[in-house]
Amino acid sequence: MRPRIAFFDFASCEGCQLAILNCEDRLLDLLQLVDIVEFREALSEKGARYDVAFVEGSIHREIDAERLRDIRARSRLLVALGACASTGNVQAAANALSPAENFARVYGEAARNRVQADRRHWPLWAHTRVRPIEEVVEVDHHLRGCPVVPEEFLRFLGHVLAGTRPMERPHAVCTECKAAGVRCVFERGETCMGQVTWAGCRAICTRQGYRCDGCRGLLPDANLAAHRRVLREHGLDDEAIDARYDLFCAAGRQAIEEGPL
Amino acid sequence: MAEALYASSESVLDWIANQGSTRAVIAPRQGDDGAIRYEPLEPGDREAARGVLALAGPSLLPPGKLFSPPGEVLFTWGPAEDGSFRVEPRLDRAPRLLAGVHPCDLRAIHLMDRVQADGNPDPHYLARREATAIVGLACSEPCSERCFCEAMGSLDHHEGADVMLAAVDGRILAHARTPLGVSLLADLAGEPCADPEAAWARHRAARPEPFGRALPGSREALGRATTAAWSDPVWTRHTEACLACGTCNLVCPTCYCFDTRDEIDVAHPGCGERCRDWDGCMLPGFAAVAGGHDFRRDLAARQRHRVNRKFAYLPAAHGDASFCVGCGRCGAQCTANIDIFDIARDLLAGSPDDAPEAEVSA
Ligand code: SF4
Ligand code: SF4
Ligand code: SF4
Ligand code: SF4
Ligand code: SF4
Repeated sequence: MRPRIAFFDFASCEGCQLAILNCEDRLLDLLQLVDIVEFREALSEKGARYDVAFVEGSIHREIDAERLRDIRARSRLLVALGACASTGNVQAAANALSPAENFARVYGEAARNRVQADRRHWPLWAHTRVRPIEEVVEVDHHLRGCPVVPEEFLRFLGHVLAGTRPMERPHAVCTECKAAGVRCVFERGETCMGQVTWAGCRAICTRQGYRCDGCRGLLPDANLAAHRRVLREHGLDDEAIDARYDLFCAAGRQAIEEGPL
Repeated sequence: MAEALYASSESVLDWIANQGSTRAVIAPRQGDDGAIRYEPLEPGDREAARGVLALAGPSLLPPGKLFSPPGEVLFTWGPAEDGSFRVEPRLDRAPRLLAGVHPCDLRAIHLMDRVQADGNPDPHYLARREATAIVGLACSEPCSERCFCEAMGSLDHHEGADVMLAAVDGRILAHARTPLGVSLLADLAGEPCADPEAAWARHRAARPEPFGRALPGSREALGRATTAAWSDPVWTRHTEACLACGTCNLVCPTCYCFDTRDEIDVAHPGCGERCRDWDGCMLPGFAAVAGGHDFRRDLAARQRHRVNRKFAYLPAAHGDASFCVGCGRCGAQCTANIDIFDIARDLLAGSPDDAPEAEVSA
C-alpha cells in the first residue's frame, strides 16, 4: 500500500510547504508512490490515519497543542517540518516578553489597550508560550531550516519508502564549510553561528559569502559559554550576541542556558 | 634520462601546465578570498599553475583529501535486468597529476598510503592514489607562523613524490624520486644536475633555522609524555573553549575517519547509493553505538583521543614517530584558538607536580 502522508501547519509562514511544492520535477515522481491525504496548500481531502505527518509551525496555544496531540495519535511517523516546528524559530523570541508588552511593541500601546479591553479579542490572550513541537509530542525526525532544504525532504521520503530512516548527525555547519572548501568567515574578521548550529543545509549561506545565522537551530550539546567568548573576542558585545542567538534560536538558548522548565 | 635537472621557474610552469594533455592536473591556487585550494588546472594554463611554486601559506584543506573526497559514492545498488540484486563499486582510476605538494602534506600522504593499504585496505583511496602522480615542492621558509613541520620531522620528507622540486641557487631543482618521476622529467627543459644531494644540501643551508615553531623535546619523548598524561589536567585545559565543531579533524591531513550514508532514489526506492562523509573524533556522536550509548561523550576525553591518535596510537600501530605532520592547520582554523602545538608543548613540559588529577571520564 502506498504510504499516506499529510501536512499540517501551526504558527508559521507556510514557506516550508512552498519550498516543497517548489521541487516540482521530483514531486511528480513522488505522487506516484505516496498518497497525499492532507495538504492545506494543495488539496482539501481529509484522511484519518497517516503514515507520515509533516508538521509545520510552532505551538502557541493550548488548543494548538491539543490538535498536535491528535495528529500524533493518528500518525505512524511525525516529522517536524522546518525551523518553526523544530526550534520555535524567530517567534520564540517573544517568550522573553509578556504577551501584552509584546503586542504593544508591535502594534502600539493604544491598539494594545483597545484589544485588551474588548472581550471579542480575549482569545488572543490564550497565547501562552512559543514551543517547538517536540515540547508537546514525540518527534520522529526533524527537517530543519528556515525554510527546509527540499533535498532533505525528498531524501527523508526516499528512506520512508525503502523502510529506513535517514540519520540525524548532530554536527555543526562548520563540517559542511570544510567539505565545501569554504574559508571561515572568522578569518576575515566576521562572526558566525555555524559552530553551534545543526548542519544539513550544505552551508548554503557561507558558500554564498555570507555568514551562518543559525536558522537550523542550536546543537543539543552546544558549548554556548565558549561560543560567547569567541564572539566577544571578535568584537561583539553581549547585547549583540543575545540578538544573534535570539534571531533563530531563542527557545533553544532558553533551554540550554536556563535548563528545561 | 636525467634523474635531476636544473630548470627555470618558467620552464617548470610550462612543464606542469602541459601535463594537462595526458592527465588532469590538480594544483594549488589562491582564490579571491585569499584561501589556497588544490583545484583542477585547465590544460596549458601556465599562469594558473604559478601556485605550484608559490609559498603563500598552507592550503585550506590538505591535498591528500583528493584521494577521499567528501561525500564520495562508494557503490550503487539496485535490481539488475535479470531480477538479481546488483551492487556496483565506484572506483575512480582517472589519471591525475597532483602538483605543488609541500613536505608536510607529502608525509601525510605517505602515512595515509600505509594506513589505507594496511589490514582492511580502502580500494577507493588506493584506486585514486595509484592513478595519481605527485610533484612535490620543498619549502624554503615556514609557510605560516603556525607551522612546526621541522619539529614533527616532515620538513625533509620526499617519499611519495615522483618528482621533488626545490628552489636552489636561484633556479629550480627537479629531482625524480621514482621511475615515473624519471619519465615525467623527460618533458622538462633544463640542464642535468650531476650531484642532486649537494644541491639539496645548499637548499637546506639557505633555510632559516629553526624552521617554524620548535618543541622542547623529541617526537619520541612527546609520544611517551602523551601516554603518561592520561589523567592530566592538560586535556580539560585545552578543551574548555572547544566548540566541538570538528574543524581540527576535517582539516587535518592525517585524519581519515568517515561515516557512511545511503542516498535512496525517491522515484525508485529499490535503488540507491552508499556515500561516505568525513567524520572526526571531536564531533558529537562519533563514539555513539547501537542503543545510543556514547562511550566518549566528554569533550576532554575526545581531545585526549585526538592527540593520542597523532602522537601515540597511530605511531605505535604503524611504526612512525608521529602522525601529526606539523602543518599547523588545526590551530589556524580553530575559531577557539586551540592549537595542538600548544598541547604538545604542555605535554612535553609535563604538568606541575602539585596539579590535581583531573577527572576525565572515558
Ligand atoms: S564560516 Fe561559520 S560555519 Fe563555516 S567554518 Fe566558519 S564558523 Fe563554521
Ligand atoms: S548556513 Fe546557517 S543560516 Fe544558512 S541555511 Fe545553513 S543553518 Fe541556516
Ligand atoms: S608546514 Fe612546513 S612543510 Fe608544510 S607547508 Fe608549511 S613550511 Fe612547508
Ligand atoms: S576546531 Fe577547535 S573548537 Fe572545533 S572541535 Fe577542534 S578544538 Fe574544538
Ligand atoms: S594535528 Fe594539526 S598540525 Fe598536526 S597534521 Fe593535523 S592539522 Fe596539521
